[in-house]
Amino acid sequence: MFNLVLKDILLQKKTLMILLPILFFYLFTGASTSYVAIIFCIAIIMNAFALDEKSSINLLLNSLPYTRKEIVSSKYIGAIVFIILVLLTIFIGNWIIHGEIIQWKQLLFTISIVAIFVSLSFPFSYLLKSQYLMIAMGVSFVIYMIIANKFIPDINDRIREAVQTVLSFSNSQQYLLLFLPVVILYSFSWMLSIRIYSKKVF
Amino acid sequence: MENVIELQHVNKAFNGFQMKDLSISVKKGFVTGFIGGNGVGKSTTIKMIMNLLQPDSGTISLFGMDYKKHEKEIKQRIGFVFDDNIFYENITLAEMKQMIKPAYKNWDDAIFKQYVDMFELPLKKNIKTFSKGMMMKASLTMALSHHAELIIMDEPTSGLDPIFRRELLDILHDLMQNGERTIFFSTHITTDLDRIADYITFIHNGQHIFTKEYYKIEEEYAIVKGETNLLDRDTEKEFIAIRKSNHGFEALTTNKKRTEDIFGETVIIEKPTLEDIMLYTKKGRENDVQSRS
Repeated sequence: MFNLVLKDILLQKKTLMILLPILFFYLFTGASTSYVAIIFCIAIIMNAFALDEKSSINLLLNSLPYTRKEIVSSKYIGAIVFIILVLLTIFIGNWIIHGEIIQWKQLLFTISIVAIFVSLSFPFSYLLKSQYLMIAMGVSFVIYMIIANKFIPDINDRIREAVQTVLSFSNSQQYLLLFLPVVILYSFSWMLSIRIYSKKVF
Repeated sequence: MENVIELQHVNKAFNGFQMKDLSISVKKGFVTGFIGGNGVGKSTTIKMIMNLLQPDSGTISLFGMDYKKHEKEIKQRIGFVFDDNIFYENITLAEMKQMIKPAYKNWDDAIFKQYVDMFELPLKKNIKTFSKGMMMKASLTMALSHHAELIIMDEPTSGLDPIFRRELLDILHDLMQNGERTIFFSTHITTDLDRIADYITFIHNGQHIFTKEYYKIEEEYAIVKGETNLLDRDTEKEFIAIRKSNHGFEALTTNKKRTEDIFGETVIIEKPTLEDIMLYTKKGRENDVQSRS
């Protein structure tokens, strides 16, 4: 199974090499590290996912001695590996360029956002295809806008407030308590994807 | 004799077509050709053997094991060869090998190199530049490099030039020399089978028609040609299907001896090709349906 994770890294070798200088460029300009980290994590994880989506590749993976459970699990483990890789790069980059050490709370926040995104998008993509993800995001954005305009006009402020409250938690226990639902969501999504993928026909 | 692949009473309804009570067994140490027209269920059967599809009912076992419990053990021992490109396109063959190799316990780099040299495959070129023949060679190389005991091929010779088709058949022939390997391949180019197949499995409309030793088919089946006036209600029953023309009739029999006894010298009896058998079986089944409805 770890061979499959390794395969995803090998496949993206070139892409990662191209992304690395871009990442450093962003860090130089002083953009928000959390924001940059989230974008890069999601881009890399979804790219790895999309590469394996062709039916011919599914044929290949399923003809190799792997079970479908392992094929799906490799994607979830791979996502964690990519998050760690990106955060580590940003952490080191930030430390070299700005001489700052990123707070672990900020890292946890980034991980949570990416994990939530992955938890929602993987089962969706296994069910349909990742190319529909953009459409789904567009639709959800429209729904969000309607909600924001019609029902809860101050939704943006509320979200911003909520994020601020979360970030200002002083107690590390509170943080871990917030992280727990993310872990549960991720595990649930993992199981769901295995179920969906097991029933797929190529 | 040991069976490597065994399908028992397999039923599968799929996209408006049905496999009905399919029972097939593939014997160890032989080449079995899997024939049938387009859309009769060859690919579906192969997909079920690969565990890409699960049957609605019935059992499928490979090497005496079933997929539910031993998926990985089974797949370790099989090499699949596809006619389409199933590799990543933007990487080289060497990189592709790097990804496939760790999956197999018995991977053998020496054999890989041997076939790459033999097929003159470029290791450093992007796979998307490969021609269909090269793709097929690459797929075969991967399948052979992990000492697979069973090689399953879906239409391996379609789309290949005649020279490479011959070469491929020679390679397959050589592979069979140690008696441990089994090859199962589907094709509709039946002339390929003359050269290497020991057994023929024939399916039509999701149903198993027969699995026979190749030489027995020639002993049992025959094409009969004669004057149309020889045919009446009784003699017509002797045949699977009959084609009548102004010059006489041509028909397929499954019992050459009996036909010889009945008609004697009045008809010409010829060796059938597999294509004849496929054609007449299809025709016979269609007539059956018509006469019943």
